[in-house]
Amino acid sequence: MVDMEQAWLLPALPAAAFVILALFHQYLPRKGDLIAVGSTVLSFLLALFVAADLFGQLPAGPGELVGNTSGFDWVEIPDIDFVLRIGFRVDQVTMVMLAVVSFVGMLVHIYSLGYMKGEPRYGWYYAVLSLFVASMLTLVLADNFLLLYVTWEGVGICSYLLIGHYWERRTAAEAAKKAFITTRFGDVFLLIGIVMLWREAGTFDMSEIFEKAEAGEFGKTYLTAATLLLFGGAAGKSAQFPFHVWLPDAMEGPTPVSALIHAATMVVAGVYLVARVMPLFEASYDGALYFVVVVGLTTTFMAAFMGLVMTDIKRVVAYSTLNSLGLMMVSLGFGEAGVGPAMLYLFTHAFFKALLFLGCGSVIHATEKQETTDLGGLAAKMPITGRTFAVGALAMAGVVPLSGFFAKDEILVAAQDFSWAALLLILVSLPITAMYMLRLYLLTFTGEPRDRHAYEHAHESPPVMSWPLVALAVLAVVSGFVVFEPIGKAIGVHSGFLGAVENVLVEEVHGFSLDWAMAAVSTLLVVGGLYAGYYAWSGAALPAKAAGERFPFLYRLLRNKFYVDDFYQWVINYVVLGLAKVIAVFDRAVVNDTGVNGAGEVTNGAGFFLKFQQTGKLPNYALAMIVGVAVLAIVGFSVKG
Amino acid sequence: MTVAELVFYLLAILAVVAALGVVTTPNVVHSALALILTLVCVAGFYVLLSSEFLALVQVLIYAGAVATIILFGLMLTRGRELPSVPAGAQWPLALLAAGTLVVVLLTAVLDSEWPRDTGVVTLVGVNTLGGALFRDWLLPFEVASLVLLVALIGAIVISRQEEEGEA
Amino acid sequence: METAAEQIPLESFLFVAAVIFSLGVYGVLSRRNAVQILMSVELMLNAVAVNFVAFATYTDPELFRGLVFAVFVIIVAAAEVGLALGIILRVFRNRATANVDEVSELKW
Repeated sequence: MVDMEQAWLLPALPAAAFVILALFHQYLPRKGDLIAVGSTVLSFLLALFVAADLFGQLPAGPGELVGNTSGFDWVEIPDIDFVLRIGFRVDQVTMVMLAVVSFVGMLVHIYSLGYMKGEPRYGWYYAVLSLFVASMLTLVLADNFLLLYVTWEGVGICSYLLIGHYWERRTAAEAAKKAFITTRFGDVFLLIGIVMLWREAGTFDMSEIFEKAEAGEFGKTYLTAATLLLFGGAAGKSAQFPFHVWLPDAMEGPTPVSALIHAATMVVAGVYLVARVMPLFEASYDGALYFVVVVGLTTTFMAAFMGLVMTDIKRVVAYSTLNSLGLMMVSLGFGEAGVGPAMLYLFTHAFFKALLFLGCGSVIHATEKQETTDLGGLAAKMPITGRTFAVGALAMAGVVPLSGFFAKDEILVAAQDFSWAALLLILVSLPITAMYMLRLYLLTFTGEPRDRHAYEHAHESPPVMSWPLVALAVLAVVSGFVVFEPIGKAIGVHSGFLGAVENVLVEEVHGFSLDWAMAAVSTLLVVGGLYAGYYAWSGAALPAKAAGERFPFLYRLLRNKFYVDDFYQWVINYVVLGLAKVIAVFDRAVVNDTGVNGAGEVTNGAGFFLKFQQTGKLPNYALAMIVGVAVLAIVGFSVKG
Repeated sequence: MTVAELVFYLLAILAVVAALGVVTTPNVVHSALALILTLVCVAGFYVLLSSEFLALVQVLIYAGAVATIILFGLMLTRGRELPSVPAGAQWPLALLAAGTLVVVLLTAVLDSEWPRDTGVVTLVGVNTLGGALFRDWLLPFEVASLVLLVALIGAIVISRQEEEGEA
Repeated sequence: METAAEQIPLESFLFVAAVIFSLGVYGVLSRRNAVQILMSVELMLNAVAVNFVAFATYTDPELFRGLVFAVFVIIVAAAEVGLALGIILRVFRNRATANVDEVSELKW
């Protein structure tokens, strides 16, 4: 019925919903929200069919690629090797992303029915949300870099529009700008990288470029440069250091947006890209992957520490997203061994992070507050939210046997093969993650309510909002089990999740292996972190406060986000605007005054002086005539004589 | 120096001096009188060139009619400044232009090659001239008379008094 | 006996004509009174006529075209003086002046 050939339907349905809503949302009943929701539901169902078709082709032998490519060439200019192709490739990696995007997209659309009820620009919100889903689906389906880049920008613009949904709030407008400009900055690198690859390979097609890279047709330095530029784009979108500044501020947008875009899908576009182009990384110098690891480690550590002191619940979850993204990048940086674990983490992270965000949304919807200084003790008033949130927090921390545990464990195994230093650093980050997640839960859901009015007002969310929470909680628990081959086989994925994914991306398939020693160590660290967190932040959180007073410098450093934002602002104020002033002076003095005005002034002046020739006096005119005759006579005579 | 040459030089000097007087003297009536002298000298030149008829015509029409009309015009247009009108403001430039012109002309005259030997001269009598005018050049002659007629009418029309109605 | 023309070279007549012509040019450009300008123009016309006759006598024995042309020059000059004075009279009547410097409505 529907198979991989029709994979293009998956993005087409939400795109159609976007067009309908963008044009007509004012005239449709309920502003057309059900159209958007319906399109994503259909999209998800179709994704299941596509998955079934794909899994029918498994198992695949080593090096044997399964999947399907479809599409058409839209613009072809053979003289310069330019082909704009709308092409789709479906393979296991694509399937992971399709599953995540369509499922979480569907849940967020349903959740928004309750959360965004009564909010301004309701119809437009759903329109842009559908456009985002369409763009993201096309992004993961794209088989050539040009289409990838177009949809990359597409999700960027949707993110901008959605973050700035409440644009009457100045902070929201600023945050939208910040997000867009920061990611756009990274996108420039991406574009240059794509063009570099196209220049050497003569094509935008991904599989052709990978083949050429593996065959060694690119110069190694050239390829490394291009790959690092691609990583620059990925770093921008996935909020790696130093582009991480936009993600916490992006929480100005509505919470479902944060759940969908800034947790489950858009921010992992960078991770997806790096995973996809792993063959290029493999063919480049090792330094490229080391660079990725360093960037990832920096991001994850910075984020983990900052999560300990932030008070806005959405921001804490945002920093946890940064933490996770950094970890995913580190895993990718391990090369072939780390790709599978990174994709596994991406897969499970989508569920528990979306769960955490939607849980925050539930709290905000109920209490109209989002600062921990105003919350507390909500577990009694909001049981479903509280329990699902706890599940999500524990999954994030990596408690066995929740999904986060399996993902983190595989990353640790890959780290062990890579370097002891990296392994140690990741192990250190585990208790910190556990600590701040528990802190968040404790401050929000336990203890004495700090704002009695908010507490009185709180109530559990309507079913349309709480059912997605439950669904995600279930997935947060079980999604890790897909690594086991029997379970994988049961849902049609032979050789388990890892094996299936790795088959596409890397030469050697590692598959899943449970390293008991590593599991024990990580569990110990996580439990230790949980205990420390409980000690510090339960009840009145006195130990935490004491620690804050003991190390004021550190506390301030973390609260001010390591002053990175201030540094950027300084650069903008002095470097960018300084340069702009110089250019403005040039523009005003040279281009405008001299060039444009000057030409006019010269003409004016010339006219002013020339007019004195018209004296109106007969003798003057006669003189002019005679002078002309005299000149002609001289010329004529000297020519002739 | 023959008589003819002597006469020529005298006439030439007189003509040039008179012309100088026409263009330099501030008194308009004096310059009109100087003009008459110049015209008469030119008539002398015609005599030297053995075109007596032309000399006759010159004296009659030019020195007689044209000069008289000019004197009439001077009389009728007496303004505040008359009779003394000094030179205009641009006389240096005029001098320069005229000077350039005379230099060029003289150079042309002295350097040019004439098409035939100018040593041999043929004289033309009045009857030959008359015959030519009324045979070969009849049409231009008639047109010239028309020109005179038109000029006459035009002059009358232009200088009519306003009380008799505008044209 | 030789004619006078045979004794006087052609260049002499041309010389005199050129000088008188240039004086006429000077007069046209530097005189203020309109009638004086007209007189200068007459000087120029006369010089030209002398030129024509001289050339006719010395270089055009069969057709003496210059001679005929000089006749027409005189005719046209007479007509022109009449007309010009009419214009000057008209201008004098309208502006009470024959000074060309003062008649400058065409000024910028």
